[in-house]
Amino acid sequence: MGEDEVVLRVENIHKKYKDQEVLKGVTFEVRRGETKVIAGPSGAGKSTLLRCINLLTKPDKGRVWLEGVELTNPKTNINKMRQKIGFVFQEFNLFHHLTALENVMIGLTKVKKLPKDVARKKAEEALLTVHITEDLWNKYPAQLSGGQKQRVAIARALAMDPVIILYDEPTSALDPQLVGEVLRVMEELARKGVTGLVVTHEIGFALEVADEILFMYGGKILERGPPREVVFNPKHEVTKKFFENIKRLYGGR
Amino acid sequence: MGFWEEFIPLVLHGAVNTLWVLVISIPASVALAIALGSARVYGNAALKAVATAFVVTFRGFPLVVTLFLLFFGLADLGIYLTPYQTATLAFVLCGGSYMSEYVRGAIRSIDIGQSLAARALGMTKFQELIYIILPQAIRRALPGISNEIIYQIKYSSLAFVVGYEEIFAVSKTFISRYFMPLQVFMVDAALYLAMTTAAAYGLRALEYKLRIPGLEMSIR
Repeated sequence: MGEDEVVLRVENIHKKYKDQEVLKGVTFEVRRGETKVIAGPSGAGKSTLLRCINLLTKPDKGRVWLEGVELTNPKTNINKMRQKIGFVFQEFNLFHHLTALENVMIGLTKVKKLPKDVARKKAEEALLTVHITEDLWNKYPAQLSGGQKQRVAIARALAMDPVIILYDEPTSALDPQLVGEVLRVMEELARKGVTGLVVTHEIGFALEVADEILFMYGGKILERGPPREVVFNPKHEVTKKFFENIKRLYGGR
Repeated sequence: MGFWEEFIPLVLHGAVNTLWVLVISIPASVALAIALGSARVYGNAALKAVATAFVVTFRGFPLVVTLFLLFFGLADLGIYLTPYQTATLAFVLCGGSYMSEYVRGAIRSIDIGQSLAARALGMTKFQELIYIILPQAIRRALPGISNEIIYQIKYSSLAFVVGYEEIFAVSKTFISRYFMPLQVFMVDAALYLAMTTAAAYGLRALEYKLRIPGLEMSIR
Protein backbone atom coordinates (compact mmCIF):
# COMPACT_ATOMS: atom_id res chain seq x y z
CA MET A 1 0.00 0.00 0.00
CA GLY A 2 2.87 2.40 -0.73
CA GLU A 3 2.19 5.91 -1.95
CA ASP A 4 3.78 5.15 -5.28
CA GLU A 5 1.81 2.00 -5.87
CA VAL A 6 0.13 1.83 -9.27
CA VAL A 7 -3.59 1.36 -8.60
CA LEU A 8 -4.89 1.63 -12.14
CA ARG A 9 -3.18 0.39 -15.24
CA VAL A 10 -4.72 0.83 -18.66
CA GLU A 11 -2.95 -0.95 -21.47
CA ASN A 12 -3.44 -0.53 -25.19
CA ILE A 13 -7.21 0.05 -25.10
CA HIS A 14 -8.98 -0.06 -28.46
CA LYS A 15 -12.65 0.63 -29.11
CA LYS A 16 -14.53 0.78 -32.36
CA TYR A 17 -18.16 1.76 -32.93
CA LYS A 18 -19.24 0.32 -36.28
CA ASP A 19 -16.33 1.45 -38.43
CA GLN A 20 -15.42 4.47 -36.37
CA GLU A 21 -12.33 3.91 -34.28
CA VAL A 22 -12.83 5.86 -31.08
CA LEU A 23 -9.84 4.58 -29.13
CA LYS A 24 -6.67 3.54 -30.93
CA GLY A 25 -4.44 2.13 -28.24
CA VAL A 26 -4.40 4.09 -25.00
CA THR A 27 -1.90 3.24 -22.25
CA PHE A 28 -1.32 4.94 -18.90
CA GLU A 29 -1.11 4.35 -15.18
CA VAL A 30 -2.47 6.09 -12.12
CA ARG A 31 -0.70 5.84 -8.77
CA ARG A 32 -2.37 5.94 -5.39
CA GLY A 33 -3.21 9.46 -4.32
CA GLU A 34 -2.65 10.93 -7.76
CA THR A 35 -5.05 13.08 -9.75
CA LYS A 36 -4.77 12.87 -13.50
CA VAL A 37 -6.67 15.06 -15.89
CA ILE A 38 -7.67 13.92 -19.35
CA ALA A 39 -8.25 16.79 -21.74
CA GLY A 40 -8.87 16.96 -25.43
CA PRO A 41 -11.37 18.04 -28.05
CA SER A 42 -14.85 16.60 -28.39
CA GLY A 43 -14.74 13.22 -30.09
CA ALA A 44 -11.22 12.44 -28.88
CA GLY A 45 -12.54 9.40 -27.00
CA LYS A 46 -12.24 10.73 -23.44
CA SER A 47 -15.62 9.57 -22.16
CA THR A 48 -15.35 6.26 -23.97
CA LEU A 49 -11.98 5.73 -22.32
CA LEU A 50 -13.45 6.29 -18.84
CA ARG A 51 -16.28 3.87 -19.54
CA CYS A 52 -13.82 1.31 -20.83
CA ILE A 53 -12.07 1.43 -17.46
CA ASN A 54 -15.06 0.23 -15.42
CA LEU A 55 -16.33 -1.73 -18.40
CA LEU A 56 -19.61 0.12 -18.74
CA THR A 57 -18.32 -0.06 -22.31
CA LYS A 58 -16.42 -3.18 -23.29
CA PRO A 59 -13.10 -2.40 -24.96
CA ASP A 60 -12.41 -4.39 -28.14
CA LYS A 61 -8.78 -4.86 -27.26
CA GLY A 62 -6.45 -4.05 -24.41
CA ARG A 63 -6.42 -4.66 -20.70
CA VAL A 64 -7.28 -2.82 -17.50
CA TRP A 65 -5.95 -3.63 -14.03
CA LEU A 66 -7.18 -2.27 -10.73
CA GLU A 67 -4.88 -2.99 -7.81
CA GLY A 68 -3.40 -5.87 -9.73
CA VAL A 69 -6.72 -7.47 -10.67
CA GLU A 70 -7.37 -7.61 -14.40
CA LEU A 71 -10.86 -6.17 -14.97
CA THR A 72 -10.85 -7.17 -18.62
CA ASN A 73 -10.41 -10.82 -17.70
CA PRO A 74 -13.82 -12.44 -18.33
CA LYS A 75 -13.39 -14.46 -15.13
CA THR A 76 -13.21 -11.32 -12.98
CA ASN A 77 -16.44 -10.49 -11.16
CA ILE A 78 -16.87 -7.04 -12.64
CA ASN A 79 -19.76 -6.08 -10.32
CA LYS A 80 -17.48 -6.66 -7.37
CA MET A 81 -14.68 -4.62 -8.91
CA ARG A 82 -16.97 -1.73 -9.90
CA GLN A 83 -17.67 -1.16 -6.20
CA LYS A 84 -14.07 0.02 -5.98
CA ILE A 85 -14.34 2.44 -8.90
CA GLY A 86 -16.30 5.59 -8.21
CA PHE A 87 -17.92 7.09 -11.28
CA VAL A 88 -19.22 10.64 -11.49
CA PHE A 89 -21.29 11.45 -14.57
CA GLN A 90 -21.67 14.66 -16.47
CA GLU A 91 -25.47 14.46 -16.04
CA PHE A 92 -25.22 13.47 -12.33
CA ASN A 93 -27.55 10.48 -12.78
CA LEU A 94 -28.81 10.60 -9.23
CA PHE A 95 -31.61 8.12 -8.62
CA HIS A 96 -34.73 10.25 -9.02
CA HIS A 97 -36.89 8.30 -6.59
CA LEU A 98 -34.44 8.45 -3.69
CA THR A 99 -33.50 11.29 -1.36
CA ALA A 100 -29.95 12.64 -1.27
CA LEU A 101 -29.18 10.45 1.74
CA GLU A 102 -30.79 7.37 0.18
CA ASN A 103 -28.84 7.95 -3.04
CA VAL A 104 -25.62 7.67 -1.07
CA MET A 105 -26.86 4.80 1.11
CA ILE A 106 -28.18 2.46 -1.56
CA GLY A 107 -24.78 1.29 -2.77
CA LEU A 108 -23.77 0.62 0.81
CA THR A 109 -26.88 -1.32 1.80
CA LYS A 110 -27.66 -3.18 -1.42
CA VAL A 111 -24.23 -3.69 -2.97
CA LYS A 112 -21.91 -3.73 0.03
CA LYS A 113 -24.67 -5.19 2.24
CA LEU A 114 -23.76 -3.00 5.18
CA PRO A 115 -26.28 -2.80 8.04
CA LYS A 116 -28.58 0.21 7.70
CA ASP A 117 -27.23 2.18 10.65
CA VAL A 118 -23.62 1.72 9.54
CA ALA A 119 -24.55 2.71 5.99
CA ARG A 120 -26.41 5.76 7.20
CA LYS A 121 -23.45 6.95 9.23
CA LYS A 122 -21.08 6.47 6.32
CA ALA A 123 -23.47 8.22 3.94
CA GLU A 124 -23.84 11.17 6.30
CA GLU A 125 -20.07 11.48 6.58
CA ALA A 126 -19.69 11.42 2.80
CA LEU A 127 -22.38 14.07 2.39
CA LEU A 128 -20.72 16.32 4.94
CA THR A 129 -17.39 15.85 3.16
CA VAL A 130 -18.92 17.31 -0.01
CA HIS A 131 -20.60 20.07 2.04
CA ILE A 132 -24.14 18.80 1.69
CA THR A 133 -25.60 19.86 5.02
CA GLU A 134 -28.25 18.03 7.00
CA ASP A 135 -31.10 20.21 5.76
CA LEU A 136 -30.60 18.74 2.27
CA TRP A 137 -30.34 15.07 3.19
CA ASN A 138 -34.03 14.36 2.79
CA LYS A 139 -34.46 16.34 -0.41
CA TYR A 140 -35.06 14.55 -3.69
CA PRO A 141 -32.78 15.22 -6.68
CA ALA A 142 -35.43 17.33 -8.38
CA GLN A 143 -35.35 19.65 -5.36
CA LEU A 144 -31.60 20.23 -5.53
CA SER A 145 -29.53 22.62 -7.64
CA GLY A 146 -27.15 21.21 -10.23
CA GLY A 147 -24.14 21.84 -8.03
CA GLN A 148 -25.81 20.14 -5.09
CA LYS A 149 -26.78 17.19 -7.28
CA GLN A 150 -23.25 16.71 -8.51
CA ARG A 151 -21.88 16.91 -4.99
CA VAL A 152 -24.37 14.27 -3.85
CA ALA A 153 -23.21 12.16 -6.80
CA ILE A 154 -19.62 12.58 -5.66
CA ALA A 155 -20.66 11.57 -2.13
CA ARG A 156 -22.38 8.50 -3.57
CA ALA A 157 -19.11 7.46 -5.19
CA LEU A 158 -16.99 8.43 -2.19
CA ALA A 159 -19.06 6.53 0.38
CA MET A 160 -18.15 3.24 -1.31
CA ASP A 161 -14.49 3.79 -0.29
CA PRO A 162 -13.32 3.54 -3.89
CA VAL A 163 -9.75 2.92 -4.96
CA ILE A 164 -10.21 5.63 -7.57
CA ILE A 165 -12.93 8.02 -8.68
CA LEU A 166 -13.49 8.58 -12.40
CA TYR A 167 -15.05 11.94 -13.22
CA ASP A 168 -16.62 12.32 -16.67
CA GLU A 169 -16.84 16.06 -17.35
CA PRO A 170 -18.38 16.64 -13.91
CA THR A 171 -18.97 20.36 -14.38
CA SER A 172 -19.98 20.52 -18.04
CA ALA A 173 -23.72 20.38 -17.32
CA LEU A 174 -23.61 23.07 -14.64
CA ASP A 175 -24.45 26.74 -14.70
CA PRO A 176 -21.21 28.72 -14.57
CA GLN A 177 -21.84 29.99 -11.03
CA LEU A 178 -22.25 26.41 -9.76
CA VAL A 179 -19.03 25.05 -11.29
CA GLY A 180 -16.88 26.43 -8.49
CA GLU A 181 -18.57 24.55 -5.64
CA VAL A 182 -18.09 21.22 -7.42
CA LEU A 183 -14.47 21.91 -8.39
CA ARG A 184 -13.74 22.95 -4.81
CA VAL A 185 -15.02 19.62 -3.51
CA MET A 186 -13.00 17.71 -6.09
CA GLU A 187 -9.92 19.68 -5.18
CA GLU A 188 -10.41 18.99 -1.46
CA LEU A 189 -10.76 15.29 -2.15
CA ALA A 190 -7.62 15.29 -4.28
CA ARG A 191 -5.71 17.02 -1.50
CA LYS A 192 -6.95 14.41 0.98
CA GLY A 193 -5.36 11.80 -1.24
CA VAL A 194 -8.43 10.41 -2.98
CA THR A 195 -7.14 9.06 -6.29
CA GLY A 196 -8.88 10.63 -9.27
CA LEU A 197 -9.02 10.48 -13.02
CA VAL A 198 -10.82 13.52 -14.34
CA VAL A 199 -12.04 14.29 -17.82
CA THR A 200 -12.50 18.05 -17.80
CA HIS A 201 -12.00 21.28 -19.70
CA GLU A 202 -11.34 23.19 -16.49
CA ILE A 203 -7.68 24.01 -16.96
CA GLY A 204 -7.68 26.01 -13.75
CA PHE A 205 -8.44 22.80 -11.88
CA ALA A 206 -5.87 20.88 -13.92
CA LEU A 207 -3.14 23.42 -13.21
CA GLU A 208 -3.91 23.54 -9.48
CA VAL A 209 -4.57 19.93 -8.73
CA ALA A 210 -3.43 17.51 -11.42
CA ASP A 211 -0.19 15.58 -11.24
CA GLU A 212 -0.33 15.01 -14.96
CA ILE A 213 -2.40 15.97 -17.97
CA LEU A 214 -3.11 13.43 -20.66
CA PHE A 215 -4.02 15.25 -23.83
CA MET A 216 -6.11 13.04 -26.09
CA TYR A 217 -6.58 13.55 -29.77
CA GLY A 218 -8.08 11.18 -32.32
CA GLY A 219 -8.37 8.23 -29.96
CA LYS A 220 -4.81 8.42 -28.66
CA ILE A 221 -2.83 10.20 -26.00
CA LEU A 222 -1.08 12.78 -28.16
CA GLU A 223 0.98 14.22 -25.37
CA ARG A 224 1.27 14.07 -21.63
CA GLY A 225 3.19 15.65 -18.83
CA PRO A 226 3.05 18.07 -15.92
CA PRO A 227 0.07 20.43 -16.33
CA ARG A 228 2.13 23.60 -16.79
CA GLU A 229 4.20 21.98 -19.46
CA VAL A 230 1.27 20.66 -21.46
CA VAL A 231 -0.86 23.78 -21.13
CA PHE A 232 1.79 26.48 -21.59
CA ASN A 233 4.48 24.75 -23.54
CA PRO A 234 2.95 21.95 -25.59
CA LYS A 235 4.93 20.04 -28.17
CA HIS A 236 2.18 19.69 -30.75
CA GLU A 237 0.35 22.34 -32.70
CA VAL A 238 -3.09 20.72 -31.98
CA THR A 239 -2.44 20.77 -28.26
CA LYS A 240 -1.42 24.40 -28.41
CA LYS A 241 -4.53 25.36 -30.41
CA PHE A 242 -6.77 23.40 -28.05
CA PHE A 243 -5.50 25.04 -24.89
CA GLU A 244 -5.52 28.49 -26.47
CA ASN A 245 -9.17 28.01 -27.30
CA ILE A 246 -9.95 26.68 -23.85
CA LYS A 247 -8.14 29.57 -22.19
CA ARG A 248 -10.16 32.03 -24.22
CA LEU A 249 -13.42 30.30 -23.31
CA TYR A 250 -12.88 29.45 -19.67
CA GLY A 251 -10.06 31.72 -18.58
CA GLY A 252 -7.33 30.48 -16.30
CA ARG A 253 -7.32 30.93 -12.57
CA MET B 1 -91.41 -11.84 -0.68
CA GLY B 2 -91.32 -8.88 -3.03
CA PHE B 3 -88.89 -8.06 -5.80
CA TRP B 4 -86.51 -5.87 -3.79
CA GLU B 5 -86.48 -8.04 -0.67
CA GLU B 6 -85.43 -10.93 -2.84
CA PHE B 7 -83.15 -9.16 -5.28
CA ILE B 8 -81.04 -7.01 -2.98
CA PRO B 9 -79.55 -9.86 -0.86
CA LEU B 10 -79.05 -11.88 -4.02
CA VAL B 11 -77.22 -9.17 -5.92
CA LEU B 12 -75.12 -8.30 -2.88
CA HIS B 13 -74.11 -11.95 -2.68
CA GLY B 14 -73.12 -11.59 -6.37
CA ALA B 15 -71.18 -8.45 -5.56
CA VAL B 16 -69.25 -10.23 -2.82
CA ASN B 17 -68.40 -12.99 -5.31
CA THR B 18 -67.25 -10.40 -7.85
CA LEU B 19 -65.02 -8.76 -5.25
CA TRP B 20 -63.72 -12.16 -4.20
CA VAL B 21 -62.31 -12.69 -7.68
CA LEU B 22 -60.99 -9.16 -8.02
CA VAL B 23 -59.10 -9.01 -4.71
CA ILE B 24 -56.98 -11.87 -6.02
CA SER B 25 -56.97 -11.17 -9.75
CA ILE B 26 -56.03 -7.49 -9.62
CA PRO B 27 -52.88 -7.79 -7.46
CA ALA B 28 -51.92 -10.98 -9.30
CA SER B 29 -52.36 -9.23 -12.67
CA VAL B 30 -50.15 -6.37 -11.56
CA ALA B 31 -47.49 -8.78 -10.29
CA LEU B 32 -47.61 -10.78 -13.54
CA ALA B 33 -47.44 -7.55 -15.53
CA ILE B 34 -44.31 -6.43 -13.69
CA ALA B 35 -42.69 -9.83 -14.23
CA LEU B 36 -43.59 -9.95 -17.94
CA GLY B 37 -42.70 -6.34 -18.65
CA SER B 38 -39.36 -6.73 -16.85
CA ALA B 39 -38.58 -10.01 -18.59
CA ARG B 40 -39.20 -8.45 -21.99
CA VAL B 41 -36.64 -5.73 -21.36
CA TYR B 42 -34.17 -7.31 -18.94
CA GLY B 43 -34.47 -11.01 -19.70
CA ASN B 44 -32.05 -13.05 -21.77
CA ALA B 45 -33.10 -14.07 -25.26
CA ALA B 46 -35.04 -17.14 -24.11
CA LEU B 47 -36.90 -15.35 -21.34
CA LYS B 48 -37.72 -12.48 -23.68
CA ALA B 49 -39.13 -14.87 -26.26
CA VAL B 50 -41.28 -16.72 -23.71
CA ALA B 51 -42.61 -13.52 -22.16
CA THR B 52 -43.36 -12.01 -25.56
CA ALA B 53 -45.18 -15.14 -26.73
CA PHE B 54 -47.17 -15.14 -23.50
CA VAL B 55 -48.28 -11.53 -23.90
CA VAL B 56 -49.10 -11.88 -27.59
CA THR B 57 -51.18 -14.98 -26.86
CA PHE B 58 -53.28 -13.82 -23.95
CA ARG B 59 -53.70 -10.34 -25.32
CA GLY B 60 -54.74 -11.90 -28.59
CA PHE B 61 -57.44 -14.22 -27.20
CA PRO B 62 -60.84 -12.73 -26.55
CA LEU B 63 -61.47 -13.00 -22.82
CA VAL B 64 -64.54 -15.18 -23.42
CA VAL B 65 -62.46 -17.65 -25.37
CA THR B 66 -59.85 -17.76 -22.59
CA LEU B 67 -62.61 -18.43 -20.05
CA PHE B 68 -64.06 -21.26 -22.16
CA LEU B 69 -60.63 -22.74 -22.85
CA LEU B 70 -59.76 -22.80 -19.16
CA PHE B 71 -63.12 -24.16 -18.06
CA PHE B 72 -64.18 -26.58 -20.82
CA GLY B 73 -60.92 -27.01 -22.69
CA LEU B 74 -58.85 -27.97 -19.66
CA ALA B 75 -61.68 -30.21 -18.43
CA ASP B 76 -61.25 -32.13 -21.66
CA LEU B 77 -57.66 -32.78 -20.59
CA GLY B 78 -58.79 -33.89 -17.16
CA ILE B 79 -58.02 -30.62 -15.39
CA TYR B 80 -61.15 -29.36 -13.66
CA LEU B 81 -61.19 -25.75 -12.54
CA THR B 82 -64.05 -24.33 -10.50
CA PRO B 83 -65.84 -21.31 -11.99
CA TYR B 84 -64.09 -19.18 -9.37
CA GLN B 85 -60.65 -20.51 -10.29
CA THR B 86 -61.41 -20.16 -13.99
CA ALA B 87 -62.52 -16.56 -13.72
CA THR B 88 -59.61 -15.53 -11.50
CA LEU B 89 -57.01 -17.22 -13.70
CA ALA B 90 -58.47 -15.85 -16.94
CA PHE B 91 -58.50 -12.29 -15.60
CA VAL B 92 -54.90 -12.62 -14.43
CA LEU B 93 -53.67 -13.97 -17.77
CA CYS B 94 -55.52 -11.36 -19.78
CA GLY B 95 -55.09 -8.40 -17.44
CA GLY B 96 -51.45 -9.19 -16.73
CA SER B 97 -50.65 -9.32 -20.44
CA TYR B 98 -52.31 -5.99 -21.16
CA MET B 99 -50.76 -4.25 -18.15
CA SER B 100 -47.31 -5.62 -18.95
CA GLU B 101 -47.13 -3.34 -21.96
CA TYR B 102 -47.47 -0.29 -19.74
CA VAL B 103 -44.71 -1.65 -17.54
CA ARG B 104 -42.48 -2.37 -20.54
CA GLY B 105 -43.05 1.10 -21.96
CA ALA B 106 -42.36 2.69 -18.59
CA ILE B 107 -39.10 0.75 -18.15
CA ARG B 108 -38.02 1.80 -21.64
CA SER B 109 -38.77 5.42 -20.81
CA ILE B 110 -36.36 5.54 -17.85
CA ASP B 111 -33.22 7.46 -18.75
CA ILE B 112 -30.27 5.14 -19.47
CA GLY B 113 -28.18 7.21 -17.05
CA GLN B 114 -30.10 5.58 -14.18
CA SER B 115 -28.91 2.16 -15.34
CA LEU B 116 -25.34 3.34 -15.87
CA ALA B 117 -25.20 4.85 -12.39
CA ALA B 118 -26.59 1.65 -10.85
CA ARG B 119 -24.11 -0.57 -12.67
CA ALA B 120 -21.24 1.81 -11.87
CA LEU B 121 -22.00 1.30 -8.17
CA GLY B 122 -21.51 -2.43 -8.67
CA MET B 123 -25.15 -3.47 -8.86
CA THR B 124 -26.02 -6.55 -10.86
CA LYS B 125 -28.54 -6.20 -13.66
CA PHE B 126 -31.16 -7.70 -11.36
CA GLN B 127 -30.39 -5.30 -8.49
CA GLU B 128 -30.52 -2.42 -10.95
CA LEU B 129 -33.98 -3.54 -12.07
CA ILE B 130 -35.35 -4.09 -8.56
CA TYR B 131 -33.91 -1.11 -6.70
CA ILE B 132 -33.57 1.55 -9.38
CA ILE B 133 -35.64 0.93 -12.49
CA LEU B 134 -38.88 -0.67 -11.26
CA PRO B 135 -39.56 1.82 -8.46
CA GLN B 136 -39.51 4.55 -11.09
CA ALA B 137 -41.14 2.59 -13.90
CA ILE B 138 -44.07 1.40 -11.79
CA ARG B 139 -44.86 4.99 -10.89
CA ARG B 140 -44.92 5.88 -14.58
CA ALA B 141 -46.98 2.84 -15.50
CA LEU B 142 -49.56 3.45 -12.79
CA PRO B 143 -52.04 5.58 -14.78
CA GLY B 144 -52.11 2.95 -17.54
CA ILE B 145 -52.36 0.11 -15.06
CA SER B 146 -55.23 1.91 -13.34
CA ASN B 147 -57.07 1.94 -16.66
CA GLU B 148 -56.69 -1.82 -16.95
CA ILE B 149 -57.79 -2.34 -13.36
CA ILE B 150 -61.01 -0.49 -14.11
CA TYR B 151 -61.48 -2.59 -17.24
CA GLN B 152 -60.99 -5.71 -15.18
CA ILE B 153 -63.62 -4.65 -12.66
CA LYS B 154 -66.14 -4.19 -15.45
CA TYR B 155 -65.15 -7.24 -17.47
CA SER B 156 -65.45 -9.43 -14.38
CA SER B 157 -69.09 -9.61 -15.46
CA LEU B 158 -67.96 -12.02 -18.19
CA ALA B 159 -67.37 -14.67 -15.52
CA PHE B 160 -71.05 -15.51 -15.89
CA VAL B 161 -70.24 -17.51 -19.04
CA VAL B 162 -68.60 -20.23 -16.92
CA GLY B 163 -71.39 -20.13 -14.35
CA TYR B 164 -69.70 -18.04 -11.71
CA GLU B 165 -72.33 -16.41 -9.52
CA GLU B 166 -71.21 -12.83 -9.74
CA ILE B 167 -73.35 -9.69 -10.02
CA PHE B 168 -74.31 -10.10 -13.63
CA ALA B 169 -74.94 -13.87 -13.43
CA VAL B 170 -77.34 -13.63 -10.50
CA SER B 171 -79.11 -10.73 -12.18
CA LYS B 172 -79.69 -12.64 -15.39
CA THR B 173 -81.19 -15.58 -13.54
CA PHE B 174 -83.31 -13.26 -11.49
CA ILE B 175 -84.76 -11.57 -14.54
CA SER B 176 -86.07 -14.87 -15.83
CA ARG B 177 -88.34 -14.97 -12.76
CA TYR B 178 -89.36 -11.33 -12.34
CA PHE B 179 -89.21 -9.66 -15.68
CA MET B 180 -87.89 -6.29 -14.48
CA PRO B 181 -84.73 -5.72 -16.54
CA LEU B 182 -84.66 -1.97 -16.08
CA GLN B 183 -84.55 -2.13 -12.27
CA VAL B 184 -82.20 -5.10 -12.21
CA PHE B 185 -79.65 -3.70 -14.62
CA MET B 186 -79.82 -0.26 -13.05
CA VAL B 187 -78.81 -1.85 -9.77
CA ASP B 188 -76.01 -3.75 -11.55
CA ALA B 189 -74.82 -0.61 -13.26
CA ALA B 190 -74.82 1.26 -9.96
CA LEU B 191 -72.79 -1.48 -8.29
CA TYR B 192 -70.16 -1.51 -11.04
CA LEU B 193 -70.03 2.28 -11.03
CA ALA B 194 -69.52 2.27 -7.27
CA MET B 195 -66.65 -0.21 -7.59
CA THR B 196 -64.93 1.55 -10.50
CA THR B 197 -65.31 4.95 -8.85
CA ALA B 198 -63.86 3.66 -5.60
CA ALA B 199 -60.98 2.09 -7.53
CA ALA B 200 -60.36 5.28 -9.51
CA TYR B 201 -60.17 7.35 -6.33
CA GLY B 202 -58.03 4.77 -4.58
CA LEU B 203 -55.60 4.58 -7.47
CA ARG B 204 -55.38 8.34 -7.74
CA ALA B 205 -54.61 8.54 -4.06
CA LEU B 206 -51.90 5.91 -4.56
CA GLU B 207 -50.43 7.91 -7.44
CA TYR B 208 -50.37 10.97 -5.22
CA LYS B 209 -48.80 9.06 -2.35
CA LEU B 210 -46.05 7.71 -4.63
CA ARG B 211 -45.25 11.04 -6.27
CA ILE B 212 -41.60 12.08 -6.17
CA PRO B 213 -41.24 15.52 -4.58
CA GLY B 214 -39.90 18.11 -6.98
CA LEU B 215 -40.76 16.06 -10.06
CA GLU B 216 -44.45 16.94 -10.22
CA MET B 217 -45.06 19.96 -12.39
CA SER B 218 -47.47 22.53 -11.10
CA ILE B 219 -48.12 23.80 -14.63
CA ARG B 220 -49.90 20.52 -15.47
